[in-house]
Amino acid sequence: MKARTRYQIMFFALGWLIALGVLFQIGFGSVFSSVWAPVNERLTRAAQWMSNAEGDAVRNVRKGSRKDYLEPMQPILNSMSALRNPPRMLFGVYDGGFPNTFAGMEQLEERVRYRFPIISFYSSWGDKPDQQFPTRMVESIQRMGSVPLITWEPWVVDFDERRRTNLPPLAEREYATLRAIARSDYDFYIVEWAKAAAAYKKPIFIRFAHEMNDPYRYPWGPQNGNRPDDFIAAWKHIHFIFQKFGATNVLWVWAPHISMPWFEFYYPGPEYVDWIGVGVLNYGTIASWSRWWSFHQILEKAYPVLLKLNKPIMISEFGTIGGGGDIYEWYSQAFYHLDHTYQRGVRAVILFNQSQDTTLAGYELNWSVTQSPRATSLVASELARRSAM
Amino acid sequence: MHPWQDDAEIFRHRRARPVRNWERWLVAVLLFLGVQSVVYFGQWWFRLEHVNNVALFVLLSTATWYGISRLLIGWYNAFHIDQPDPVDAPPGLRVAIFTTSAPGEPYEMFVRTLAAARDVRYPHTTYLLDDTRDPRFAELAREMGAVHLEIIGVPGAKAGKINRALELTSEDFILVLDPDHIPFPDFLDRVLGYFADEKAGFVQVAQAYYNARQSFVARAAAEQTFAFYGPTMQGMHGTGTSVAIGANCTFRRKALDSIGGHGLGLAEDLVTSIRLHAAGWKSCYVPEVLSRGLVPADLDSFLRQQLKWSRGVHDVLLHEYPRAFRRLSVHQKISYLMIGSYYVVGLTTLIYLSIPLIYLWFGAQPAVILLADFLKHGLPIGILGAVIYRFTQRWLCDPVRERGWHWRGTLMKIGSWNVFLRGLVLAIRGVEVPYIPTRKERHRGNVWTLARVPLLTIMLSIVTTVWTVIRQLFFVPESEVLITTEVTAGMVMFLMINIVLMSGRVYAAWVDSEVRE
Repeated sequence: MKARTRYQIMFFALGWLIALGVLFQIGFGSVFSSVWAPVNERLTRAAQWMSNAEGDAVRNVRKGSRKDYLEPMQPILNSMSALRNPPRMLFGVYDGGFPNTFAGMEQLEERVRYRFPIISFYSSWGDKPDQQFPTRMVESIQRMGSVPLITWEPWVVDFDERRRTNLPPLAEREYATLRAIARSDYDFYIVEWAKAAAAYKKPIFIRFAHEMNDPYRYPWGPQNGNRPDDFIAAWKHIHFIFQKFGATNVLWVWAPHISMPWFEFYYPGPEYVDWIGVGVLNYGTIASWSRWWSFHQILEKAYPVLLKLNKPIMISEFGTIGGGGDIYEWYSQAFYHLDHTYQRGVRAVILFNQSQDTTLAGYELNWSVTQSPRATSLVASELARRSAM
Repeated sequence: MHPWQDDAEIFRHRRARPVRNWERWLVAVLLFLGVQSVVYFGQWWFRLEHVNNVALFVLLSTATWYGISRLLIGWYNAFHIDQPDPVDAPPGLRVAIFTTSAPGEPYEMFVRTLAAARDVRYPHTTYLLDDTRDPRFAELAREMGAVHLEIIGVPGAKAGKINRALELTSEDFILVLDPDHIPFPDFLDRVLGYFADEKAGFVQVAQAYYNARQSFVARAAAEQTFAFYGPTMQGMHGTGTSVAIGANCTFRRKALDSIGGHGLGLAEDLVTSIRLHAAGWKSCYVPEVLSRGLVPADLDSFLRQQLKWSRGVHDVLLHEYPRAFRRLSVHQKISYLMIGSYYVVGLTTLIYLSIPLIYLWFGAQPAVILLADFLKHGLPIGILGAVIYRFTQRWLCDPVRERGWHWRGTLMKIGSWNVFLRGLVLAIRGVEVPYIPTRKERHRGNVWTLARVPLLTIMLSIVTTVWTVIRQLFFVPESEVLITTEVTAGMVMFLMINIVLMSGRVYAAWVDSEVRE
């Protein structure tokens, strides 16, 4: 055989082999993933079992745990009806180290000498392992005596194009996502979350697609052809699926951006919402559009509208950065107004303990209260005063 | 009777079974699946979200992909398994058998070897290349009808003596026989026919051992060779890359002359074959057991041999390989790179051993990977590796005695990591290791000197485990304990695996310390 013919045959065969390989990868990937799912579940359960055993051992050895500190709160934290209408203001914390480490939260709790009954973290949609229902995280939070709050963000581009052939290609996927959710396109994912949430059984806050009315922030905003009706339809659809799979242990937090007008048109209705979430973050003077806003200045305009909805209000992101004003002053005024202006509506406050926030500016923003020792001791005494009440 | 106890059965000619068409197709399918499993693992492994500590991730990836690439090349090699069709030896060839003796080698061994060489049927002349200065050896050679060549003071140990003997003799074909190997009578009849091909430079046959059950070390050392003389070398024959191994190789004098004689150095056999290949000579591997010899039976000799090989092979990689590179075929380029980098496993083992220790002491983690996810993507490679390993064992030269998982060989290979690493360092620094012929009888040893590094590794692993438990129980914040269970438990599990991996050599050292001399 001539060398040229041989190369032609080899080239041809190689082409077919590669094509076969690609097909094989797609087929094998999806089949194997479904075969693997039960194994994965068992491994997760084994890990949880180990974690529980470790937690018990630690508790025995140290003669006490974080949960013991929160023991007086447990009747509230374990009851859905109490959590829908809490008799006292609940405090929570989000830490920038989640979900990899709790060290930052532990440090904050040490410094303010307090253990937060709510622990807040963020989870985005997708096919990756860390985008599935965070069973290990919520179980750990529950063991620590707190209630988890998950901000559930529909970043739909993280779904694998090869596996999810029913979804539009990545480039078009972020357009009108909410309508697609309402149309059941994402049920494969929502159902898994609903089942896992139901299996968890204990109360859990879920804040879905927050700041849906802000056209400058997230892909599920109005800039991508998402109308208020679409949001409401998507919300109801998800709520329905969770109910259907028995996830009645979920407290739904509806969280619009209150600085944008007409947020009330995104309200799904009282039977679908348990809480109203409001982010009150003061960006100080970091950008042209921002200036130093006090807690009261941010909240006052929207508050009467929110109050009319007759649901408990949660300051789901509470904090200020350092540039442009006095941190101590900001917190001190905020606590004053929580007691005297918003005492009727606001029932929960989640500290935003993120010291390296890069989501907005091109550099790190420090939201942590611990950057100011005075503000830290103020927060500590405010928390102590309220838990003594 | 146990297959290793029947002398008549052990000292009998055997040939690997022929390759059938369906088997070749099946290996092709397995190779395809193997490549797919590597792609499946690779597209998952190299995801940015996995990277944690960049430097550690690079190290871990290097170690992992070093192993995977060797596996891939091994599968590709298995796809080329081929055997030369037997060719009758033409009468009238002029053949020499060279065997060497050095001071300290036991006299009784030569009685047996020279008698067996005399009984090889094809007409030949046996030469004893002797520098013992012991009159008994000259006497023995005379008795056994061998020519005694006293060659003293030549540099380059065995190869030096061979080169000197080449000047003193004139036969066209030379079988280099290690003195511990007992050739079967039909040895030359089954080998010489392949030289009908004018370009055939050397013909190598399998090496097999009769003392493979003498001790744990002997068993492990023998296990390390089974696959090599079975499917591996047959695949190399298929790609024209089979190499000469010091013993049992028959050379064409013209070929040796063309490269200025037998190569020198600690891996003189490898030097010789790379030079012959570079000079355009073809090699032939005959998967037949035509002699049986001795494998190191005590840990000290085993480790000396490993150091010698590691140092020598790295030398070939660093010096011979670049020189020969342009004149080698593509397959030969890959093959010699694979052989030359075999002992890099010493370095990758160090990486694997360090990763859990680094995490548990300093908290640095190479990758954020769920164990379940790792298993999911790595399992197909593992399964195919095992299936191909076992399937190709049908082409072992002596399957009844050689088939198995060869865990002793694997344990001893991983347990010798520091020796390999030392060979690498010595080769890079150009420090010489004296050439010592591998000792032929068992030797008493001391556990601490023979297994210091694995013992220290085990102790460090135990201390780390105890410290981790204490720290988790008393000092780490509770929430941190709860959320890091998987990583901590996973790393402690790796420590346990490391202890198991290091235990083989410690056991071998302990056995040797109990030997009565």
